Amino acid sequence: MRYLKPSSVSEAADVLESSRGMILAGGTDAYVYMAEGFCHPETLIDISSIDTLRGIYVATDDREEEVIRIGACTTIAEIAASQDLPTCLRQGARAVGSPQIRNLGTIGGNVCNASPCGDTLAPLLCLDARFVLRASGGTRVIACEDFFTGPKKTVLKPNEFLEFIELPASSCGKASAFRMIGNRKGQAISQANASVSLVMVDGRMSDLRVAVGSVAPVPLRLGKLEEFLTGKRVKEVSLAMFKEPILEGIRPIDDVRSSASYRQEVTVALVFDALAECASKDSGECEGAGA
Amino acid sequence: MRIQCTVNGKSVERDISPDLRLLDFIRETLQLTGTKEGCGEGECGACTVLLDGKAVNSCLVLAMQADGSVIITVEGLADGQALHPIQEAYVEVGAVQCGFCTPGFIMATYALLQDTPDPSEEEILAGLEGNLCRCTGYSKILDAVKLAARRMRESR
Repeated sequence: MRYLKPSSVSEAADVLESSRGMILAGGTDAYVYMAEGFCHPETLIDISSIDTLRGIYVATDDREEEVIRIGACTTIAEIAASQDLPTCLRQGARAVGSPQIRNLGTIGGNVCNASPCGDTLAPLLCLDARFVLRASGGTRVIACEDFFTGPKKTVLKPNEFLEFIELPASSCGKASAFRMIGNRKGQAISQANASVSLVMVDGRMSDLRVAVGSVAPVPLRLGKLEEFLTGKRVKEVSLAMFKEPILEGIRPIDDVRSSASYRQEVTVALVFDALAECASKDSGECEGAGA
Repeated sequence: MRIQCTVNGKSVERDISPDLRLLDFIRETLQLTGTKEGCGEGECGACTVLLDGKAVNSCLVLAMQADGSVIITVEGLADGQALHPIQEAYVEVGAVQCGFCTPGFIMATYALLQDTPDPSEEEILAGLEGNLCRCTGYSKILDAVKLAARRMRESR
């Protein structure tokens, strides 16, 4: 096995183009796959110490809009602790692994690993995140919604890697919350998770996004539920009322961690709980990056 | 490949294979066998060391990724023959049963108290959530962390 440590993204892109090696960031998923024999990379390209891939700051995106930009190699611990990011994303990051795992693991790794139960995916989906993908020929930008194609599958080409995650600057003005359930507190892998973001206007829910994970091959937006809830007051809705729009949207399976019927039950409760937390705050809660 | 790093305050330089894990570099190359391998996949925390001041699972890091970094293992805590207050507290309280998980718990405790000198019970549980004790001696471990935290605050 070859181990390469490029010092810039352009060097990393060139090395990836010529070697078609495997990108390594925090390593917390990569080593488990290697140890279990799922993959045998000939070349590992370690991008974790490239400075420009670390950090959270305000930037202007390809559409000239202001965004919160997150470097792909920003660690999960840094995401969880950042005051510059929306609550749901911090809560999702906090739900990943253990302190040791969060210190190593990166948000780019959580995204590109594309596990249906990745705890930052539903938050990113409900924040309208966009991903900047890098190749030696340049970059392309893709919406979070279009990035995941199946369990552990994404639109990333063999010569591409994730450089940045971008959130609309307005996401800091929204109230948001994340909920997950697993079978123990530390290290738990989500049996189901949910993330909600919204703006309360005169006590009514607007600009609502509901995303769920671990209940379909990819993280999902629940459009029907968003439609049903938009314009309503939180007091007007009950858990029973939105069971149907949720169950219509999700496709949970029975697997080693949980059963499909349990996942259906808890997803409804998790969404309701996250919504209640959002509604209890009347506006956004983060400082905005770059402070 | 050539690796240079600082381990327990000493600069070390070795030629290693690029697929060597940090855990094997510590245990086999440097013969520091206090760090243990439990699961080898980041679930149990027995291999916890500090890498540039942060607790990590050394089974999930390639040694080459630690090139240029500062590493502290359980052997780096004692001052000569004098145990570190965290180690003393674990011994005194009886937070050690079979002892296999202990180095990992001690390193996780060290990282926790470095950032949070006066942790609540909830913060202790969160700080140690990446470590498993298969003897299930958790309540004594909690007592030891509280005792160590108190002593370390008092001695500052």
